[in-house]
Amino acid sequence: MTTVMDRPAASAGHTASRKPLIERLNIVTALVLGAVSSVVVWQLALKLLPQDADTAFFFNREDKIMLLALIAWFVGFMTGIGALIGPFRWLMGKDLNHDENMFLAGKEQGVKRYFRYTTDHKVVGIQYLVITIIIFLVGGILAMLIRTNLGHAQGGWIEPQTYNAIVGWHGIIMIVATIIMVTGPFGNFIMPIMIGARDMAFPRLNALSFWLIVAAVPPVFISFFTGGITTGWSAYNPLASQSALGMNGYIAFICIFAISTMVAGANITTTVVKMRAKGMTWNRTPIFIYGVVASVALALPAFPVFFLSQIMSGLDRAFATSFYNVAGGGSGWLYENLFWIMGHPEVYVILIPSVAALMEMAPVFTRRPLFSFNLAIMGIAGISGLSVLVWAHHMYISGWAPLLNAPFMLTTELISIPTGMLFLVLIGTLWRGRLWMTMPLMSIFALLWNFMIGGITGIYLSDVPADAFLHGSMYVTAHFHYTLMGAGLTGALASLVYWFPKMTGRMFDKTLSWVSFWLVQIGFNVAFMGMFMVGLAGQPRRVESYAEIFNKGNLVTTIGAYTIMAGMLVLLHGVISSWRSGVKAPMNPWQAKTLEWTVANPVPLENFETLPVITSDPYGYGKAQS
Amino acid sequence: MSVETHAHSNPHHEHPDVVGSRNRLGVILILVADIAMALSVLFVYFYLRQQNVNNMWLPAATSDNPAVVALSPKGTWYVTGLAALGLLTHFYGLKGVRAKNQTQLVLGGGLAALFSIGALIYQFIQISGAPFTTTSGAYASCYFLIAGLNTLHLVLTVFIAIGNWNRSRLGIYKADHWHVDIVNVWWVWMTVSSLLGAFALSFS
Repeated sequence: MTTVMDRPAASAGHTASRKPLIERLNIVTALVLGAVSSVVVWQLALKLLPQDADTAFFFNREDKIMLLALIAWFVGFMTGIGALIGPFRWLMGKDLNHDENMFLAGKEQGVKRYFRYTTDHKVVGIQYLVITIIIFLVGGILAMLIRTNLGHAQGGWIEPQTYNAIVGWHGIIMIVATIIMVTGPFGNFIMPIMIGARDMAFPRLNALSFWLIVAAVPPVFISFFTGGITTGWSAYNPLASQSALGMNGYIAFICIFAISTMVAGANITTTVVKMRAKGMTWNRTPIFIYGVVASVALALPAFPVFFLSQIMSGLDRAFATSFYNVAGGGSGWLYENLFWIMGHPEVYVILIPSVAALMEMAPVFTRRPLFSFNLAIMGIAGISGLSVLVWAHHMYISGWAPLLNAPFMLTTELISIPTGMLFLVLIGTLWRGRLWMTMPLMSIFALLWNFMIGGITGIYLSDVPADAFLHGSMYVTAHFHYTLMGAGLTGALASLVYWFPKMTGRMFDKTLSWVSFWLVQIGFNVAFMGMFMVGLAGQPRRVESYAEIFNKGNLVTTIGAYTIMAGMLVLLHGVISSWRSGVKAPMNPWQAKTLEWTVANPVPLENFETLPVITSDPYGYGKAQS
Repeated sequence: MSVETHAHSNPHHEHPDVVGSRNRLGVILILVADIAMALSVLFVYFYLRQQNVNNMWLPAATSDNPAVVALSPKGTWYVTGLAALGLLTHFYGLKGVRAKNQTQLVLGGGLAALFSIGALIYQFIQISGAPFTTTSGAYASCYFLIAGLNTLHLVLTVFIAIGNWNRSRLGIYKADHWHVDIVNVWWVWMTVSSLLGAFALSFS
């Protein structure tokens, strides 16, 4: 590798063949240091920690050992990747110099920069894209295991506890994948260019947020081999406190992921507020930016609550504290409150950027301005505001504060109003537009259809009497898949095809994008309509076998799921083949008007040779006819 | 979107005030996350205290165990007092750097670092001397949670305060003082957080 740094003459003399520490750290050193640290701490803990007293709850000693080993993994990995260099250099008063910063930015490092603590937002965007695809692949395989089990007459193909672990693992993996699927790849790669910035506000924090996610992955994988996450993704306590050791992996995973989300939230928000190009006033700022900021701004106060709930869960397990243990003065309702205070805003953390991305594409493919930009912003703001006031609709049946059921029903149903505004903006933009039939444009129609079903079924669930019947059934599962997958994932896949040319310099294969789109959308509607049917008929969720009357509905759902899988594999093939040998993309293949399409392919290291000055709005395709 | 491009006067060297303002906002936003967590800790404390499930907030004496007695809040207030002194001395240093007085900056920063170390040591003594264990009911659990959060804040403060003092000593803040301003934001929040914890623990 070519060294681009200026080294002091003294050190160059006796360490001519040795690279500075900052150049030697990469994913290999991170994995090795993480693994060695965790094994050493594990062995030390085995030797030094005293045996549990007779009165100890469940697995206190084993929990302590596992949590300590996971913490050691985390510290070792982050040290090995180089995350601590910046803070310690700050402490020593030896800040990174220009050359070192250029090295961290990945200058002249080729493909190696993707395996280092690289700070360039474009590298981080690609890293996020790859890890999101990998996480979806794992989550998708688990989904197919679930559906294969349930597609078998009356289910029961997989051993019950293993099935529970697969469901829990699938749930949390997919939630994390959907949280990062738009703000990760496109929020990092596209957003800074779109606002006319050279990079993110805090490039090292940007790298940190990505590598934290990588560090979070092994604990959740280890959980599968230590009893699994048998509680479902919500990990309700005190059940979670009493579950197998695998729950420690879940706890570590969530805590690390929450830190990543907080860091990313602060970074993205600062970038948008402080680094927009000259002349980019708020009403000239693209709607996608609003979506990304609303998402991370919601996550910023919500995920610390989730983090705390898991810290307390870990303390209950390892130190027998009494946060959720009723016998010791704790409360299961406490967990449910903390979890859903995060859990419901999290739905909109996923949805808003996806919908905003489609709103960004709508003017491009209809060649007309976004219908009522202000209404779109009001919709996003309204959803964000109301989403923090609805959490207890998940708890109607738990018996917590029945007097609050009616107010929470009201706030939940009110959220339909700002959601309707976003529908209106999309439909208004499509109305009488000159439609350019591409996969991203068709995704807008798909989103309107899927999100309408997801939204309307959600109104039933927000209604206390209806929820008393539907709660805990497959109907709920179908409902949230219609929102998170039918709307959220649809927007993310459209974003992939839309921004693929800028991110890779190649056009996404048109035929493969269409084949994948139709397979996924048809399969999706078959799968989850079938699930609505069995849910309405009374099939509970999270069960590995069921009564004979549900056979047909489950078979339909499984056929739909296999069709989705086929579509996703076609998409994956499209990503790989287009990236490797696709048609070279022109600078602005869609003739769009936002800033990312004004820079060359591949995008230069600092994006703009000269910083742009904005003089008009991003949707000036002609006069809107409303 | 219409775009005009022109040469930026100094694209790679932004004005320190611009960088400072950006960094300040970033720190405040990260603090929003920390504030959300600290408020959640208070919610946990008062929720479990109010619920007093199975009368296990402060368990009464049994044949095997004596009654759990709440800790006097005095110690927690002492920790907060040390944190407040650290804040004041840091602010004294900040006033120094604003007045281009490097000696005052180094002195204030050094004293602030010492107070943060003192507060951390006192916090450790408090935790290790608690007359109950993690298994002694909901109050004890909440006590360790609040004390743990304060300890984490103090560890970070020690790191930041020593770094700030060292950098002041090396003369890094001669040209501009936005770093010291930002460290002050952290000191304010850390002291407020400690105060909130002490306030909560005063209601056993």
